[in-house]
Amino acid sequence: MSSNSLLFSINNEGKVYALSTSSSCWREFMYLGLEFKTLSAVPHFLWAVGGDRQIYLHVHGLEIPIRVKEESFENERWLPLDGFSSRLLPTDRYHFSSQDGTKDRSIDSIRLPSMAWQWEGDWQLELTLDGQPLDHDGWSYAVDFPAQFGPSKQWKSCVRRKKWIRYRKFSAMNSWCAIAPLHKDPTQEPFIDVSIGGNQMPYAAPGTLSVWAITAHGRVMYRAGVSTTSPEGLKWINISIPPGCDIKQISVGPTGLVWGLLWTGRVIIRKGITKDCPTGESWLEVKSPNETKILSVSVGFNVAWAVSSDTRVWFRKGIDGNSAGTSESSATGSGWLEITGNMIQISVGINDQVFAIGETDKCVYWRSGITPAELTGKRWRMVQANMQLSRTSSSTSVVSSVSNAKHHSLTTLNETTPERKTNINLHNSWEESHSAPIEHTMPVKHPREARPKGNVNIENIDLTGKSYETTLKNPRAWSPVRSVGSVVGMEAQPDSDSSVFDVDSGMFFDDEVSQTAWGTCETTWAFVQAGACCVDTLQVPHWFSDSHNVHNTDLSAKWRLEILDNLKNRNNNQTIDLTNYGVAVEEKGWTRSCEARLVNSNSSMEDCILSLYWNDIENTGTLSVFQPDGTIQFILNLPEVTNVFSISEPGSPRICINVPRQKKSTIRVQFISEMEQEEWFSVLVDITSQINVLSGRPSANSIWAVTNSGDVLNWDPMPASLNTCQNGIFTKEFQVFGKDIIQGFTTNLNNNFPPGSRIKVTGSLFDEITRFHINLEGPQVKQRNRVETEVTDIPLHFNVRFEENAVVCNTKTLGSWGVEERHDLPVARGQEFSIEIICDVQVFKIRVNEKHYCLYEHRLSPESITSVSVKGPLKLYTMEYSSTSLIIGAEEMFWRTIGGYLRRVECSQNGIVWGITHDHRVWLYSGGWGGGVLKGVGSKDGIHSMTDTQTYCVYENQRWNPLSGYTSTGLPTDRYMWSDVTGKHKRTREHTKLLGRHWHWISEWMIDYNTPGGVDSDGWQYATDFPAPYHGKKIFTDCDRGDEVSVWAITVGGDAIYRTGVTANTPASLIAISTCNNAVWAVGRRGELYYRGDVTKENPGGFNWNMIEQPKLGYPYSHKSVHIKMVSLTENAAWVILSNGSIAVRTCVSKSQQDGKEWKYLTDEITFKHVSSMGQEVWAICADGALLRRQGVTADNVLGTTWQSIVNGALVHVSARGRSS
Amino acid sequence: MANDRELLREIWDGKLPICFQLAQEEIMEIQQPDPFYVMVPRLSYFPLVTDKMKRHFLRYISQENSDSEMWLDYNGQPLKWHYPIGFLYDLFCGNEPQLPWILTVHFTKFPEDILLRCSNKDVVEAHFISTVKEADVLKHRGQVMSTMQKKDHNQLRLMESHGENEGFKHIPVRIYSDDGTCHQSLVNPKNCTDGSRKTVQHMITELYPDKTSVKLRTHGITIPSDTPLQWLSEHLSYPDNFLHLCLC
Repeated sequence: MSSNSLLFSINNEGKVYALSTSSSCWREFMYLGLEFKTLSAVPHFLWAVGGDRQIYLHVHGLEIPIRVKEESFENERWLPLDGFSSRLLPTDRYHFSSQDGTKDRSIDSIRLPSMAWQWEGDWQLELTLDGQPLDHDGWSYAVDFPAQFGPSKQWKSCVRRKKWIRYRKFSAMNSWCAIAPLHKDPTQEPFIDVSIGGNQMPYAAPGTLSVWAITAHGRVMYRAGVSTTSPEGLKWINISIPPGCDIKQISVGPTGLVWGLLWTGRVIIRKGITKDCPTGESWLEVKSPNETKILSVSVGFNVAWAVSSDTRVWFRKGIDGNSAGTSESSATGSGWLEITGNMIQISVGINDQVFAIGETDKCVYWRSGITPAELTGKRWRMVQANMQLSRTSSSTSVVSSVSNAKHHSLTTLNETTPERKTNINLHNSWEESHSAPIEHTMPVKHPREARPKGNVNIENIDLTGKSYETTLKNPRAWSPVRSVGSVVGMEAQPDSDSSVFDVDSGMFFDDEVSQTAWGTCETTWAFVQAGACCVDTLQVPHWFSDSHNVHNTDLSAKWRLEILDNLKNRNNNQTIDLTNYGVAVEEKGWTRSCEARLVNSNSSMEDCILSLYWNDIENTGTLSVFQPDGTIQFILNLPEVTNVFSISEPGSPRICINVPRQKKSTIRVQFISEMEQEEWFSVLVDITSQINVLSGRPSANSIWAVTNSGDVLNWDPMPASLNTCQNGIFTKEFQVFGKDIIQGFTTNLNNNFPPGSRIKVTGSLFDEITRFHINLEGPQVKQRNRVETEVTDIPLHFNVRFEENAVVCNTKTLGSWGVEERHDLPVARGQEFSIEIICDVQVFKIRVNEKHYCLYEHRLSPESITSVSVKGPLKLYTMEYSSTSLIIGAEEMFWRTIGGYLRRVECSQNGIVWGITHDHRVWLYSGGWGGGVLKGVGSKDGIHSMTDTQTYCVYENQRWNPLSGYTSTGLPTDRYMWSDVTGKHKRTREHTKLLGRHWHWISEWMIDYNTPGGVDSDGWQYATDFPAPYHGKKIFTDCDRGDEVSVWAITVGGDAIYRTGVTANTPASLIAISTCNNAVWAVGRRGELYYRGDVTKENPGGFNWNMIEQPKLGYPYSHKSVHIKMVSLTENAAWVILSNGSIAVRTCVSKSQQDGKEWKYLTDEITFKHVSSMGQEVWAICADGALLRRQGVTADNVLGTTWQSIVNGALVHVSARGRSS
Repeated sequence: MANDRELLREIWDGKLPICFQLAQEEIMEIQQPDPFYVMVPRLSYFPLVTDKMKRHFLRYISQENSDSEMWLDYNGQPLKWHYPIGFLYDLFCGNEPQLPWILTVHFTKFPEDILLRCSNKDVVEAHFISTVKEADVLKHRGQVMSTMQKKDHNQLRLMESHGENEGFKHIPVRIYSDDGTCHQSLVNPKNCTDGSRKTVQHMITELYPDKTSVKLRTHGITIPSDTPLQWLSEHLSYPDNFLHLCLC
């Protein structure tokens, strides 16, 4: 049973879509200029009748390609004069024969069955016989032909033979393959229906398939020779039907049972279909139910379902698939049963699951509750899946003109394979033709002839965007069946196209969320085919959205607000002190669980059950993740969660959770619906904030960040600083219990070890100890040409050596030790000890057992110390780290989601926080918390309404073609005809999807006439080729996030903007600016850097812009200067991000030297998106969205020492400008 | 589906301050027992929340009564344990709120003619489940409970109108007069004339055509008369899935 099977549908435009049971969106099949009428499928094999009434086959999703071995035996006889010779006796077999010698298997005449096949290599000899090696010619010998062949030549060997083998491969995988028509002229007897089944025929060989079709002349055809290794089969066989029967639809069940539907609405059933007689014996007739006419019928294993012309649904009871071939009553069933619902078409899938198209809404419905015991099911559920955009959108796909891309490749196909043409047998009768007909018999008109001159495709664009159809339909439109070769659309590159078969690859994600687009158009379906669809009734696919009947207006209704208000004030009416009241029952907390999916790091997903436990009295909670079978996967301790934020993408509502103490990687969870995601998100934010005792407005000292999906995160160091501060000294105790000191215990010193820092270690020494050390170390450095990292700098090495009766203090600089300083042994074996290292301006003061022991002068800056390491045979009791500033590690930083929705955020030291939304409006933080999705948390204060407008752009691209002018038919190498600005991603208007349910469209698509560079009157821009500087037609629309309550309030008015005077040296336009104290730095549009001189309080505009020397790329190897993307200025340095994403720092910026002194470069190979610095705080977001903090930044060492990872996740912007040093 | 979290939270977290006092005739010690003050969930039932209180008073009563069933009264009216506590408060104190709610605790003279016996907590559960089943029959013709297993019953939430958006078949609602008599009738969530949402006012006019200015109280509040019944049932039902409304 496959966990990933496909449901097929045809929409009202004849386009084929597939919905995978493991996904929740419809994916369109590659559109090849051909609509389809009907489909029939078993897993991996899809047969269809095209709009040209010809039959097409689509083979897909096979992991192992279809390979067939062709064999031919070359026979020779020993003749007295010639030796072994190909001249054989007249009674002998053919020179090239089959193994038994009865058939002529001349190698030249063994050809590919159709052009859907390709040879894999040339003919080769088989050099073994039953496992024994043969000589290099591959001959095996025998007395005479019907005898046993052996590997060696003997005196009596009169004949010999060798075996030639060659493999052919079905190459038309994942593409439509035309099946040859019945007659030379395909229009002579077109097809009206086709059905495949028989994949579970009782006792039949594995791979058996059964294909039946109906022609427009009412003939029933059986396709002989169809199997999984021969998907096209061999030929059509006519099956006679009783006179007077005019058949219109046929359905083959998985057991091979065939039901035909007559135009009169009655049903005929083929009896006697068994594995030995797949065509059956004769027809039986079944009355239609209650004198109604049947419109559509579908046969399953033990069922048949039908829809009558009055749209009623009928179930045929009493069918037994296993004995249908032998028993008439099992084949015909015993009676009709009416099922509720009104449908127009019905299809039975694997396990007798039923899908149907609704009568009124033309939606796809699934019959839920069908089990082997209850084949009629319980009720109809609507399949609600999103649409995924396709390369050619539904309504923009121009009916293929003659100069279609398919034709290009068709011609090349024919040109490059001349030998195939010659191979084709002209005398094949059409009745039993293979599916590769011959070009000679079916001359295709050359495009130039077929196309009348001057007939130009005129596109009539309706600006309302409602209809968009090309007016010209060439009546001689190219049809794949005329294409000779049976392989259609190979050039569509099924591998590189995100087709239906690579599940969930269709995520188009870009740096800019605004470019994300997914389809959400309403489609009306004409046909559904479930034959390949395996729905697990226990684990229903995520196709059925929760139905919710919350009238959104209820939330703001007067009566609801009144009820809520009254409820809140229930106990407030009388003034009694409720604090003395005990709790009646000790509450055990509550749990909440739901089914969701874990998203693994490689984007694969696994089902899981989330279970949240929370006890608000004890302030404890856990989030447990179970596998669907109930086994536990992991449990997260909620107090250790550092952040929760939404990482939803259109169509997949997700959140991510970081618990650095428990799990290194981010936990990503996808929920079934957006509602559920919002509820869980809100609950988790609420609980984790409660645990961390956070609510309301964060302090001015906070760091703010914005995630990819617009959530605003805040880390507030204040609550933590209140807890641990004593006389300006912050102390942190490390958890050392149970640590293995013998192997070495290393822990990070978050604030480095500047003067004023102290570390104290207590413990007891083992009796057999020989030496131990305490190191104050620098960062791990990756050495050039080495894989592993190592510590190269150890500013203080304190080594107690009992065997030498001494303590050795030393410093390691760039990997080499300096001069040792030796002192007497202060401690004894087997005793308790305490060692305290205090950093002073000049020296380390070392105290042992509470007594001064020695001094050690700094040889390296103590600021470069990033960690402490203890190693030796001893037991640690405590380890205390004190610093003059707050000590807080990444695993202790709780990032609270504040609410609202922004693209950029910037804070300042006085607590003012501003933000920018997509529509470039500026918002001011109100000091509230919650709102919007976070409806349960916080109070109502400071919640305002927030709106945002986002503009979606798609580009329509066309290519000029000598015949037809500009058309939407591109070259295979071209960009998508509807694309984003880069052309790398497909975008269509119809399938552009809103980011979430809080967004609404506010306008129709419009053409942008204001594209930089100018456009013509229709909005087109021109270029010589696609990668050239050029845009197609840009069409945009706006969507709006309205009705959102949020903690951000729009700023109206405000102070007048100070306009600087224009001087000769004014940069044309600025893309980034940063100020600090009295300096202003800015980045010009070409990536050059300026500072504004002489900015003072009296003259805040300054005097003029001065250019600053550009940093160099690839320092120190090259001297090419590089563009700057952004700048963040502090009192003494400017941090800039270069165009290649690396960071450079302009040092020694001061009042006297406003442009700084020199560029320094960070050499760690990380690329950055954003950096924000203030004082000695430097925070940055690297290219993958992770938030990093620079450690060891001091006035002397402005570059700091190393990056510390704070949050893994999709962040876009950070502001540390509120941090005071 | 009820997803108005803010409101549901108020309902589910609703607590009532209660002051339990031992009936004077029960006290066998010279020392007067202190009243027992406690916050009680409105949605719960007395037998489930009185364990602590019972232990508090046990040492003041005569030993032979310590095993007999405890019962409560308010102003001389015995309280039926099989109603949710919040509802009992609304019934007896709805019109003149008393906080804390002062209740008298008895261990003797069980009023057999008024109260049901409650030997243990399983009886409460059995009663609760039977009420839920009754509500389910009214709501969805019993389709939900019949598909649930015994173990699921422990985790009952308010049953939601599953599947279609049509709402409930009938609203499980009980309306009580001041004297505690209960009125239960089939109430459709939609007006049969136009299919619009039926409001509390519609129901009142339907049930009490002769009375004017009828107000209904539940969860300690008076319900605005334009509240839709379906919404009311989804959000303001007690855990037994019934709307227990008091006339006032």
